[in-house]
Amino acid sequence: MLAYIVRRLLWLPVLLIIVSFITFALGYYGPADPIVALMGQNYDPEVAAQLAHEYGLDQPFGVQYLKYLERVARLDFGESIKYRNQPVLRLLIPRLAVTIQLNVASSFIGVSVGIAVGVIAALRRGELIDRLVVFGVVFGRAVPVFVAGPILLFLFARTIPVLPPGGWDGIFSRSAVMPVLLLSIGPMAVFARQTRAGMLEVMGQDYIRTARAKGLHEMTVVTVHALRNALIPLLTILGFLLGSLVEGTFLTETIFGIPGIGQFAFEALGGRDYPVIITVTLLVAVAYALGNLWADLLYGVVDPRIRQA
Amino acid sequence: MTTVLEVRGLKTQFFTQDGVVQAVNGISYDLNEGETLGIVGESGCGKSVSVMSLMRLIPMPPGKIVGGEALFEGVDLMKISDDEMRSVRGNKIAMIFQDPMTSLNPVLTIGRQVGEALELHMGMSKSEARQRTIELLEMVGIPSAADRVDDYPHQFSGGMRQRVMIAMGLSCNPQILIADEPTTALDVTIQAQIVDLVKKLRDEIGMAIIWITHDLGVVAGLADRVAVMYAGFFVEEAGVKDLYGDPRHPYTIGLLGSLPRLDAERGRRLVSIEGLPPDLIALPEGCPFYARCNYRIDRCETENPPLRLVAPNHRVACWIDVTTAQPTR
Repeated sequence: MLAYIVRRLLWLPVLLIIVSFITFALGYYGPADPIVALMGQNYDPEVAAQLAHEYGLDQPFGVQYLKYLERVARLDFGESIKYRNQPVLRLLIPRLAVTIQLNVASSFIGVSVGIAVGVIAALRRGELIDRLVVFGVVFGRAVPVFVAGPILLFLFARTIPVLPPGGWDGIFSRSAVMPVLLLSIGPMAVFARQTRAGMLEVMGQDYIRTARAKGLHEMTVVTVHALRNALIPLLTILGFLLGSLVEGTFLTETIFGIPGIGQFAFEALGGRDYPVIITVTLLVAVAYALGNLWADLLYGVVDPRIRQA
Repeated sequence: MTTVLEVRGLKTQFFTQDGVVQAVNGISYDLNEGETLGIVGESGCGKSVSVMSLMRLIPMPPGKIVGGEALFEGVDLMKISDDEMRSVRGNKIAMIFQDPMTSLNPVLTIGRQVGEALELHMGMSKSEARQRTIELLEMVGIPSAADRVDDYPHQFSGGMRQRVMIAMGLSCNPQILIADEPTTALDVTIQAQIVDLVKKLRDEIGMAIIWITHDLGVVAGLADRVAVMYAGFFVEEAGVKDLYGDPRHPYTIGLLGSLPRLDAERGRRLVSIEGLPPDLIALPEGCPFYARCNYRIDRCETENPPLRLVAPNHRVACWIDVTTAQPTR
């Protein structure tokens, strides 16, 4: 088991090199020029050339990339072009803290509510509550964040103004309610649907009949015997969840003006702030990789047949 | 001999989109203390549904026990509350199932799965249940049980899993063990081991057994009494020797005639029963075996014969006396 974890972790740098190379190449050969974006209307070719030299942007691709890798190895992710002379890492860390809080809260709510709703729907198959859940799942999956966000804002900040329309006063403040809710809709829908499907399958299994034949209470049958089996396929999704949440964060943070890495990255994209873009991309890659590793490890915890192998 | 279970007119139906499936059509029998009753019949004749109904484990809906009673310790199992039924299941009446590969929960240890019933019904603590589980596993012949109690089902072979199921079934010293084709999914040598194990445990513990199978050979060596089921009805019921030596129902005769025998004369052809069992959604008005019967008379088409006594402890549902091939009065 330990060897497996180590092996997986050793792959991580390889993955990061691939991701950074692609992102770096896209930035280098891409159409936009960060200097142009930085100077805007005050563009002056001479100053631009000087700035490009200052940032090392006039050197060939290979040189730039290797220099970059060398700095990254020392955990130096460069300086932001937009926020002049500020190290990316120093800009990123406080924002990352906000984003992590947001993601932890919304994934916790999304996953737990989703599983609970899915179990109830499966046990009440075909009844009104099940139909409502199925409808809600389709709705939750179909409506994108940039549509649901403004609707939430319209409802709870304008029509019934109970929540602030944006800003950030920490995860336990009223300003966090709407963004957390918005971000949890996606995972909630996915988990509700998968739990429902999983439970429907598992409840028809022979070992559920065995459990009932033992005289166990239906509650024990569902929670101890059925749910654990139904959760196994959900772990795969849990791995993806971490990565997909980061993506959802981009939009949510922008809509609500939350100072997290999502908003930061969004800004950086507009300003062609490549050091920031690449760093955030690497971060998302790490999140995906660790998320999947975590899910794989959880498989072993939940399913003894995998622990053995 | 005291009767532990009296089943009267048990009737179970499934309400499906295609119509009402009449799976069990009013069967009645007594089960005596320490007795082994074999219920035989082909697939889909209602054997499993009849015992699942007793345990009230029929999926409802679409299933429904539409009539009948099952008296156990003076109470009708069909009428008691769900809570009372749960205190009977796995405790006083236990059940083992056909496919040991799928009947155990893959994510829980063997110890947990056997111990669960002990904690629930016998009020044992976790450690007492564990100790007792190890004893039970030893009793059913699982080697180094103390080590294997923490293993998972996938670490056991099919035969071993069925032994675990038996240990689970016997954990609370049930008065009745219902075995629903417990050897069907196993290969023949393992089948024999399981049958021998159950025989040995029956003699030690003294529980009554209802053993369901489509294998007439297994029943012959195990049961005291055998009931033959066809299209949801009992068509013949007799002591095991009478049933095999003197079958009185055309269906039973057909079944036995289709079996190869070591003592048969050379060159004798095995007979098969022509046709198929009736559709349980559209049961005929008369005898369900009418269309396939070699002895049929007009009366059989319109009237379904009830079970009648033809010899001591030997009941047959037929309008014909097959010994003379003449109609009964």
